[in-house]
Amino acid sequence: MIALRDFLPYLGKRVLGAIGVLIGAMLLVFFISYILNPNPAHLWAGARASKSTIAAVIARYHLDQPWYVQLYYFLQSYVTGNLGVDPQTGKSIISEMAFYFPNTLELVLVSMVMIAVLGVASGYFAGMHFGTKIDHSIRIFYLATWSSPYYLGGFLAILVFSSYIPLFPSGGMYSLTLGNQPAHITGLYILDALIQLNGPAFLSGLQHVFMPAAVLALLDFGLVARIMRSSILNARWSTHVKAARAKGMEEGEVRRNHILRNALIDTNTIIAVTFGFLLSGTIVIEEIFAWPGIGYFTYQAIVSINYPVLVPCVLLFTLGVIVANFIADVFYSLLDPRIALGEGGGSEG
Amino acid sequence: MSTGAASMRRIITSNSLSMFGLLTVSLFLIVTVVQVASSGALLPYSAYQPSFGQANLSPSVSHPFGTDLLGRDMLSRVITALPIDVGIPLITVALSAAIGIVLGTLAAFFRGWLDEVLMRLTDLFMAFPTMIMAMAIAATLGPSLVNVTFSMIIVWWPPYVRLVRGGVLAIAAEDFVSISKALNSSFFYIVRKDAIPNVLPTILVYATFDVGSALLTLSTLGFLNVGIPPTAPELGMMVSNVTYNLFLYPYQIIIPAVVVAVIVAGFSFLGEGIRESLDVKLRPHILIRSKPAKEIETQ
Repeated sequence: MIALRDFLPYLGKRVLGAIGVLIGAMLLVFFISYILNPNPAHLWAGARASKSTIAAVIARYHLDQPWYVQLYYFLQSYVTGNLGVDPQTGKSIISEMAFYFPNTLELVLVSMVMIAVLGVASGYFAGMHFGTKIDHSIRIFYLATWSSPYYLGGFLAILVFSSYIPLFPSGGMYSLTLGNQPAHITGLYILDALIQLNGPAFLSGLQHVFMPAAVLALLDFGLVARIMRSSILNARWSTHVKAARAKGMEEGEVRRNHILRNALIDTNTIIAVTFGFLLSGTIVIEEIFAWPGIGYFTYQAIVSINYPVLVPCVLLFTLGVIVANFIADVFYSLLDPRIALGEGGGSEG
Repeated sequence: MSTGAASMRRIITSNSLSMFGLLTVSLFLIVTVVQVASSGALLPYSAYQPSFGQANLSPSVSHPFGTDLLGRDMLSRVITALPIDVGIPLITVALSAAIGIVLGTLAAFFRGWLDEVLMRLTDLFMAFPTMIMAMAIAATLGPSLVNVTFSMIIVWWPPYVRLVRGGVLAIAAEDFVSISKALNSSFFYIVRKDAIPNVLPTILVYATFDVGSALLTLSTLGFLNVGIPPTAPELGMMVSNVTYNLFLYPYQIIIPAVVVAVIVAGFSFLGEGIRESLDVKLRPHILIRSKPAKEIETQ
């Protein structure tokens, strides 16, 4: 384990780096939308909007100001946390995002648990049976699921497990007919039901989340399985494993302490990185399974080119990726102290 | 060059994964080229002409993929979509790789502030969730095939810059490059003779795998009706147009989706197989894999 006095400066550097990337991303989003949209008022008000409507949109969003004034208003809205009002629903954008985001978090967290279990287990078995039929079947399976588009997985799951064998509901987050709904505390339905010891709501929540989360996990666990397999291959023929065997260590112990533990270092970080993939995947999965999450909300903003909502949503997804990468880095340095101490290990670029 | 081609052939055929990938990819490339060259004249049925007497037929000998709700042959419609579904991912990956080679080589050779700026910019672009960013840009620019390709490239180039930069940095540290520099070789000479040939294999393997990812993103844009014009034949869009038929005529949804998966799998298997064959560390263990597992364990 790494000493705290070595770890804290590293952590500080990482936090500053993450904040820097976030600020850079905000500037980049601003400039991309500024360049791509030479005439935003027409785009937002619609092709047939009257002159007065367009004038109102221009005044409301300061579109007649030079870019640096617009940038000031843009940054100011994020610093003060006042993102304004959704032009389509008339509700506060922050409160809308606060409603949709926990639902997506629930879906993605359940999915990540599945990915960790599936990815580590299948990668381990494939790696330990390198070159055999077991290895080939596992690899073909995860390459095939990785190659499938989300809509194929989603529709197949609904067809088989909601229609042919009706085990799971085809959409929604919980049963609407349930009399006793848990109160809104964390926003994560399953967690809320668990805290309030509401058994039926908990089971209904689990039943609803299972299929979309499983589809996301099945289609994305390939990355984790692939890294796990190659880490196992790296570890199992390395000299320290040979040394452990040579000194007469029991085979089970060699596998647990020398092969599995070393392979998990790389795999842990990849599991965190998968978070970004899952966030992108939620757009399709939430659309298919009628899941009221941030992916669905963002998709609505994209198809209606609703920039006041779209930009904060894109930034929220970006924040998700940045936080996931940050957690991955910290995990990595905790598991492999050489990274924080700057002794090799960290590759160029 | 002939020895290079011969060793490439040996690498691909030695591995059943890459063999499957090569066959699938070639099949789809040939069909795509024939479809473009003949401009659809060789199709068994028209992909656009409705024939209502033939509506919603399940797959059979005369219609291997069945027919859709307007009685159009699904196989013909799937083939019509291939130029877009194979072409745009290939263009996206090729142009991204070209951007990567130019920017990555510049960053690696000149280091200093140029390297710093390019790398920070790559970091920023890589923090964006690919699909969402591509969707937002495509929706803003309005539906057209050029716009959708452009928005894909905007999110697709960063990994290539990093890959090329890393590769060129590794080459630049080699003795033969320092000697070449000492002999006063020009920048372009070193790039052309030393840097590019040495990073190209890595880029090619990554790009092969990546064409599949690009197709997944493209067909998802089509499925969500973002960026691709409603009149353009695209497999994801073909699926989303008939989602209401899921329980009545599931093949209308499953077949185009499976075709996407098979093309993506073809490119992924090919890339993965080549990567493994090139992996020096695994090579000895591949050679002895015909021995019983017990013996490998004790190596």
